[in-house]
Amino acid sequence: MGTTDSSIVDSARARPGLLFVALLGGLLLVDLAAKLAGVGLGPIGGSLSVDRLGSNLWNGIVIGLVIGLAGIGLSMTYSILSFANFSHGDLVSVGAFSGWGVAFLIAGFGDIPARALLTVRDAGSASPGDIGAHILTTPGAILVGLVAAFAVTALLAVALDRTFYKPMRDRDGISLLIASIGAALIVRYLLQFGYGSDRRGVTASVEASNLAFGPLGLSVNAHELTILVAAVGLMLAMHGMLQHTKLGTAMRAMADNKDLALITGIPAERVVTATWVIGGGLAGASGYLYVLLRGTIQFDFGWLLLLLIFAAVILGGIGSVYGAIVGGLVIGVVFTTSTIWIPSDFNQAAAFAVMILMLLLRPEGLFKGVSTA
Amino acid sequence: MTADAAADDVGGVDAGETGAAADEAPEGPADETETAATAGTDHAIDGDAILRLRDLDAGYGDLQILSDVVLDVADEEYVTIVGPNGAGKSTVMKTVFGLTTHMGGRVEFQGEAIQGLAPEQIIREGIGFVPQNDNVFPGLSVRENLEMGAYILDEVPEDQIETIYDRFPILRERSDQKAGTLSGGQRQMVAMGRALMLDPDLLLLDEPSAGLAPDLVADMFDRIDRINEGGTAVLMVEQNAKEALRRCDRGYVLVNGENRYTDRGDVLLADEDVRRDFLGG
Repeated sequence: MGTTDSSIVDSARARPGLLFVALLGGLLLVDLAAKLAGVGLGPIGGSLSVDRLGSNLWNGIVIGLVIGLAGIGLSMTYSILSFANFSHGDLVSVGAFSGWGVAFLIAGFGDIPARALLTVRDAGSASPGDIGAHILTTPGAILVGLVAAFAVTALLAVALDRTFYKPMRDRDGISLLIASIGAALIVRYLLQFGYGSDRRGVTASVEASNLAFGPLGLSVNAHELTILVAAVGLMLAMHGMLQHTKLGTAMRAMADNKDLALITGIPAERVVTATWVIGGGLAGASGYLYVLLRGTIQFDFGWLLLLLIFAAVILGGIGSVYGAIVGGLVIGVVFTTSTIWIPSDFNQAAAFAVMILMLLLRPEGLFKGVSTA
Repeated sequence: MTADAAADDVGGVDAGETGAAADEAPEGPADETETAATAGTDHAIDGDAILRLRDLDAGYGDLQILSDVVLDVADEEYVTIVGPNGAGKSTVMKTVFGLTTHMGGRVEFQGEAIQGLAPEQIIREGIGFVPQNDNVFPGLSVRENLEMGAYILDEVPEDQIETIYDRFPILRERSDQKAGTLSGGQRQMVAMGRALMLDPDLLLLDEPSAGLAPDLVADMFDRIDRINEGGTAVLMVEQNAKEALRRCDRGYVLVNGENRYTDRGDVLLADEDVRRDFLGG
């Protein structure tokens, strides 16, 4: 078979899928337009206000930023250490609990027993309103909490690496993956042991204010803006580090070719440690920010979020930091806009459907082949 | 250069083992016509060597590839290793660079035992290595590839980058281009440039002509000549054995992980046994 034959076969195989996606996408767009115009079409008809579409998109972007931020670390450890780290979701939880513990301690110090603060209101010992965790009233505490989330999670990620992954450095990806599942379980149930298993409110509610962007009247609250600024800031810092520092260049070099990095004299273990610090830290920060968005915390929420993080990373092209960010945004927007058509109980399914379609049509993901890391 | 030191060794050859001497020996000391065209088997040199392998056993895991390998590279010398596939040629280089399992014997560099050191430390000793495949970071720019070559230094050595750009001017033009987008020949330049960033005393080259278009091979060998003339000793493994032997000071013929012949490149080229068995006639 010549190359011409196989390319015809390839495109013939790809075409029905692309056709399907194009048809489905077109149909959804037509339906969206009809809904916006207030003309119900078909069995899932109904109308949709521009404002609701706007807030769906906005929420999707905010969730997407959090998922993307968490995905960076997952993608980095995949490209530099060659394994899918299943304990990454629980690092997200660790960041949330440690960060909010510190934020509470600062916001409520003196008024409320420190233990209740550090345990993030273990057994509902104080109300978030009493503590006053609110970006407008206690911005300092919330900022310090973010830093603490990053630092504690980075430290734990390095400790897990030293304990479990470093002794297994030469093993294959499957062994490491299984080890990471074990590490995930340990971390998750230590969290449950320390913080309890009840789901509780963390942040005081904030008033949303309406921002008008052209025809879109967006309802945006201060916590969402905080997430936007913090996530984009961290992503830009990450980008600067990767592209313009010696360490970042070494990380990209190791992601490109580990054997060559070794004979070039790049100190692999130091780069690996830095990878855990940054990847783990960003996971912790994203968990902290996710709580700011949801307002509640629970010991296993990071584990539940991990599937979406994986979906984002795979969608973007596993191993690519920029792919993780874009993948996170796509997953986030699909997650929230799908509720226009389907009940919100199923919106997670919509996100995975998009990921599966991506795998079928472009198995390498959006960003594969564009420089790793 | 130490080609004359190597030539002295020819006198010590055990001629009986290798059979008929080649009549058409193009050159060689007049007083040694009997043995000049018969490749020698004295694998060590008399003078000082910067790299000295003695009775080296090495391999991968439990699999031993090299046994009792003896090899010397003198200061500023150009040495090439030839031999059939699977002879362990590349394994010699990897062993020097600490990438295999050391099983016995010594590796000395400038009088110091370096077996068992990590590659990062061996680089510090003054050895650079250009592997055969995947020898650039494709996602990094040309300049970043070179910078990584000097990772162990605190500061990027700008003057050394300039020296390398002067040596390979095309790389200056492509400085910001990703190495993965370069042609094979340019990639080979990036790989050599990276290995030269610390101005090593010894450069290890594993099959530098592999994968190059035929018309680029001569250019590549010319570049290696110039690197060697600049004072860097070269130890090279090369599939293109005839050209490699023509260019080098001395050559080693390795078979089944053991030394077979060692002599000046032109003597090996002229030796009938070597030609028949290892150079395809």
